[in-house]
Amino acid sequence: MNTQRIGAIFEKDIKDFMKNMMLLMMPIVPIILALIYSRLGEGEELPIPMLYLIVGVTFSSVTASCMMTMMAEENEKKTLRGLMLSPASFMDIIIGKSLVVGLMTFIALAISLFFAGVKPFLSVQAIIGLILLFLFFLFLGIGIGLFTKSVASTSAYLMPVMFLFGFTPMIEFFGLGEDSIAITIADLFPIMQLIKMHDTNSWVPIGVVAIWTIGAALFTYICFKKERTDD
Amino acid sequence: MENAIKVTGLRKVFDQHAAIEDISFSVKPGEIFGLLGPSGSGKTTTIKILTGELGQTAGDVYVLDINAPLFGTADFKSRIGILSDNSSLYERLTVYDNLKLFCKLYDAPLEQIEVMLDEVNLKEARSKVVSKLSKGMKQRVLLAKALIHKPELVFLDEPTSALDPGNAAHIHRGLQKLNEAGTTIFITTHDMEEATELCDRVAFLDKGKIQELGSPDELRYKYSTHAFHVETFDDERLVIENEAGNADKIRDLIANGEVKSIQSDNPTLGQIFLKVTGKELV
Repeated sequence: MNTQRIGAIFEKDIKDFMKNMMLLMMPIVPIILALIYSRLGEGEELPIPMLYLIVGVTFSSVTASCMMTMMAEENEKKTLRGLMLSPASFMDIIIGKSLVVGLMTFIALAISLFFAGVKPFLSVQAIIGLILLFLFFLFLGIGIGLFTKSVASTSAYLMPVMFLFGFTPMIEFFGLGEDSIAITIADLFPIMQLIKMHDTNSWVPIGVVAIWTIGAALFTYICFKKERTDD
Repeated sequence: MENAIKVTGLRKVFDQHAAIEDISFSVKPGEIFGLLGPSGSGKTTTIKILTGELGQTAGDVYVLDINAPLFGTADFKSRIGILSDNSSLYERLTVYDNLKLFCKLYDAPLEQIEVMLDEVNLKEARSKVVSKLSKGMKQRVLLAKALIHKPELVFLDEPTSALDPGNAAHIHRGLQKLNEAGTTIFITTHDMEEATELCDRVAFLDKGKIQELGSPDELRYKYSTHAFHVETFDDERLVIENEAGNADKIRDLIANGEVKSIQSDNPTLGQIFLKVTGKELV
């Protein structure tokens, strides 16, 4: 890893981000959602699943979406190959980009939770959970961005990511029975585990989210190995 | 270092189709080496193997004394420069910002940006957004990007293909200057004039094999018929073999004032390529 190269990629990506209307709109989505939800409760605190819905929308529409769009654009325009042929390592490239996406996610999440309620997240366990969830969505974004060859095709992958991993708490509104196989599977998803975490002192939910994050990291690594050469 | 590039028995197979079949060549340090061939002949595959973008199926490849498996290291990457069909720029950023990024990635001083902008004749376009540039201007920025860190060895895939003759000539002068400073240049081109003007040696690649290799002068001599083409004022065209017995014949034609023009047979690289491979270089 080389801090100068990471800094150079960060500087380039932040300038590029600011000139890309499509990316600039993404952080606004969770903020608007948080504003709407905050008006619903008439002064009452929002329930935990609602708060995690906002978190899920933030991580899927800002973290995963921005990352996969940035990576896919680099792929589509062949600029990623230029970076990979330079002395910058894959880690330098990913860290530089992740810092930009992380900054945008942090701003969007901070503003959203300012409106929706930040109190439930002020614990070590919740913060660790949010960091792991951020990394999970970040790795998904990198991996998908690496194997998609155009920005247009990222939307086809973003939708399942958003609905499966971002909007998971919405499954309760489908009226499925508690014994339903869909509910049992959804309960293992990262956001559902983090919601569960608030009802227990156990670290098991954090462990499950960590496994999801490791899985996403492996997925990114496989996509990178495929992209690195033309073989 | 004896060779900047040394390739022995290189072979590359894609899905049972051999793109490169057992080619061997070497490039001396400080040389300008041209790889000439039609589309699909294996030029880009060769460059990709030499730059580490592609692995070989068989054979040994050494670039700057580094063996192919180590082409992914930062040390190797910082010693070479690449301009290929895969090279691209950040369209929303300015020319300066694009070059600044690569200056920092290669740990080159920022003053190099101005030097390179001057070299590629783009000083006035430094603040322009890349998306607003013409194809030729973008090609010149790509060239500046490839050379910004003063690499020991540069791979240039059709570097002047999108340029007008004036800018191409400017780039040729820049490449010659770069070469005089000691940089080895590996170039692929369709432009025979460019190859003749720039290259110390050329290799003709066709169907994945090197069909001919040598300096442009050597090849022209080898494929010359060594005859003289004489055009008289009577519009007669004579072909006189370069033999001792024909000296009087030529002298008499000149003495009698019959010669309108006289030329030695000196085929161009394009004609030689056609002769060797049976196809035009397009």
